[in-house]
Amino acid sequence: MQQENFSPEQSLRLIQSMISKTKQDMSDNSIYFLVWGWLTFFASTGQFILKHLLNYEKHYLVWMVVIIGIIFSIYQGKKEEKNSSVKTYVDESMGHLWLGLAISFFVLAMILTKLGWGTVAFPFFIMLYGLGTFVSGSIIRFRPLIIGGIIAWALAIGSTFVSYDYQMLFGAAAILISYIIPAYMLRSRNKTANT
Amino acid sequence: MTQSEKQLTEKESLDLIAMMINKAKDSYHDTGIGAMMWGTIVAVCSLVKLAELQFDFRLPFDIYWLTILAIVPQIFITIREKKERKVKTYDDIYMDYLWLGFGISIGLMIFIVNNVFSVWEPVSIEYTQLAGHSPAFKFREFIAPLFLLLYGIPTFVTGAACKFKPMLWGGLLCWVCCIVTIYTTIKIDLLLTAFSAVFAWLIPGIIMERDYRNAKRGLAQANV
Repeated sequence: MQQENFSPEQSLRLIQSMISKTKQDMSDNSIYFLVWGWLTFFASTGQFILKHLLNYEKHYLVWMVVIIGIIFSIYQGKKEEKNSSVKTYVDESMGHLWLGLAISFFVLAMILTKLGWGTVAFPFFIMLYGLGTFVSGSIIRFRPLIIGGIIAWALAIGSTFVSYDYQMLFGAAAILISYIIPAYMLRSRNKTANT
Repeated sequence: MTQSEKQLTEKESLDLIAMMINKAKDSYHDTGIGAMMWGTIVAVCSLVKLAELQFDFRLPFDIYWLTILAIVPQIFITIREKKERKVKTYDDIYMDYLWLGFGISIGLMIFIVNNVFSVWEPVSIEYTQLAGHSPAFKFREFIAPLFLLLYGIPTFVTGAACKFKPMLWGGLLCWVCCIVTIYTTIKIDLLLTAFSAVFAWLIPGIIMERDYRNAKRGLAQANV
């Protein structure tokens, strides 16, 4: 009976362990940034090579790689749901934010289908990348993501001054700075914290 | 005080933590004034613009300047709400960044749209001169869908995070209206923008304001 009861000190320790668990979860989110980051980086640069350098007509087909990201996210999400008994604040907040952004990407795709993909697609996408990483950085209190989001916004402005082909490179740069680099920094911070 | 009263079981401890988290969550009380103000301003701007097109008149100024002017009272509202908040909860910080990010995105959207216009307009004029009629493609038909897309994001995320259904549905409504406005004329676009502003911000703002007043009254009574 005594073992089941918690002294105030033990309660505090429990709270402390829950906080640590939340911190651990923060770092686990880096896998999503890495998978989506590399996929979109590959698609943006691939589209530039296919269109600008090889003059391939169906250059946009390279974006089919996002299907891999969708399958991965569903699989990973289900796996995490099974493994963790407690849904942390970070999990919940990130879930709401990225669900909202996923719907927005889908709705933006519908707008661009009518407006025309080969016009100004990239500035809008880069702007949304920036919004996602800026707010994610605030959720997990990780400054490189916040800064990455701000740089992505600057790149969204810059991309409006160049032709469609070069907008793809601006998109790749935005992904590199706002997703990939902060995700690796998040991983290394986690490794350092665990050692 | 007995020993059993002092100590908590594991379940009780967890319940206490959960309760404290919920308490902190519930303490997110926006007064709703900001949402009411922005809902009204966006609805009024859209409806005035619609009236200008429908009845063929022009105001001596662009009605959308109201949205820039509204930033001033918004700053005062934010400062006052921050003073009233005793504890800054996790949600508060997250929401601050979300809406700040939204504000920056709106600014960026205005910039991108204006930039596209400056490129597209000369092409459109030249086409009209050469072909004798205006082009079928009109970029301004896409302005409302692009803004409605952005309106939906913070509204939906706030509604989901704060478990505030009127905003969650309001955000979803913005996206539904966004898809509809892709296929409708500019007049319908403006009407649907006003409709979205009322349902996504004005009405949730009124509900928030009512809840805030009730919570304040309850607190005052408890302290008597």
